[in-house]
Amino acid sequence: MDLSIIIDSLPVLLKATMVTVLLAVVSVIIALILGFFTALARISKIKVLKAIGSIYISIFRGTPLLVQIFVIYYGLPQIDIELSPITSGILALSLNAGAYLSESFRAAILAVDKGQMEAAVSMGMTYWQAMRRVILPQSIRIAIPTLSNTYIILIKDTSLVSVITVTELLQMSSLIIAKTFEPLTIYLLAAALYWVVITFFTALLDRLEKRTSKHVA
Amino acid sequence: MEIVELKNIKKSFGDHVVLKDINFSVGKNEVVVIMGPSGSGKSTLLRCITFLEEPDGGKVKLGEFNLQAGLPLNKERKNMIRALRQNTGFVFQQFNLFSHRTALENVMEGPIVIKKMDRQKAKENAIELLSKVGLADKMDHYPAQLSGGQQQRVAIARALSMKPMVMLYDEPTSALDPELVREVLLVMKELAKEGMTMIVVTHERGFARDVADRVVFMEDGLVVEEGSPEKMFGSPVKERTREFLQDVGKEGR
Repeated sequence: MDLSIIIDSLPVLLKATMVTVLLAVVSVIIALILGFFTALARISKIKVLKAIGSIYISIFRGTPLLVQIFVIYYGLPQIDIELSPITSGILALSLNAGAYLSESFRAAILAVDKGQMEAAVSMGMTYWQAMRRVILPQSIRIAIPTLSNTYIILIKDTSLVSVITVTELLQMSSLIIAKTFEPLTIYLLAAALYWVVITFFTALLDRLEKRTSKHVA
Repeated sequence: MEIVELKNIKKSFGDHVVLKDINFSVGKNEVVVIMGPSGSGKSTLLRCITFLEEPDGGKVKLGEFNLQAGLPLNKERKNMIRALRQNTGFVFQQFNLFSHRTALENVMEGPIVIKKMDRQKAKENAIELLSKVGLADKMDHYPAQLSGGQQQRVAIARALSMKPMVMLYDEPTSALDPELVREVLLVMKELAKEGMTMIVVTHERGFARDVADRVVFMEDGLVVEEGSPEKMFGSPVKERTREFLQDVGKEGR
């Protein structure tokens, strides 16, 4: 194993890692918004909203992410929707993670003690005031552990986007290997970089969890 | 003057009839204690007053608010129900304090969110109310950091923060360890002295004797008998009332 290969590849791989982080962060933000509203749709009393939420979740949890990426990047151009590789990647990752997150949110909202809603409405709050002021702040705390889990999976899933030529960490590794013929070194280096990214975010989310649950017995 | 008036209140859960036909009123400054065996419908009755359970039929009158039960829920009706709730303070058996907020924030929440009160003013009021229930020194504590008795006293302060016409207590001391019951009852007694109108569902016979103007005995979804505590504990007319109130007595409460 040649140390100079590592030294030479590292700057390029670090740059590609930034692409991976960008994919993960942008996707998770969109997925959080999507998941949040889907969860609200699923617990609402309006049947159409409920149905739309359920269908969305069923489709994106019921099919492989790789197929979703192919449909968006290779399939959509056929009906004149052409998206760049990175946009396609972010779209697929967000839609996929959003479906999982909505289930976490829904479970978390339902996990808040029924008495909290009763206490809020018994004072004369509207349903939405009670949701916003009482239920949602508590459900976010409950959702954080499963949310962290989904986010970690999302970071790893960004590697799938390499198949549509986004030069994120895995794609860049393969490109370097094509030139250097050092698959073991380079893939191990890529694995190490994934590990660093995931460990960083895990620590961050653990801290967030501790901070939000400080006052709960 | 009547503050609360219930007319022909009926409520069933599926096939199970919980309230058969309740007629009942409470005057201003009056303290009414509702007693009865479990399953007699007393908690449901209390919850029906603020439509936490919507009655299947009947009428609820609270001050100037008049609500016919069992009608479809449109926007106007929802507003009516909220107006009714804003004027009643409900105290739960399980306290139900907002667990993500401090004692102080719990008591500020209603006035700020519902009455759009200025934050500073809401805070001043909340501190005053917490002092009244003896917890000003705990105002920055979260519910999980308070004992059951303290939580219930904060819950009473929270209910008072909306300046209700009537306070409704649903077995306020049933979830408490025996040594914590007293502090809650003392606060309630103090409020009664100040002239707060209250309806209390409880098994606390001593409280009923000392504080109630009227004791109502319920069984099987009906009011069996009502009267002054002296009459209800001393010489009730109905056999069933005598049995029950004496049974409660034997438990040493």
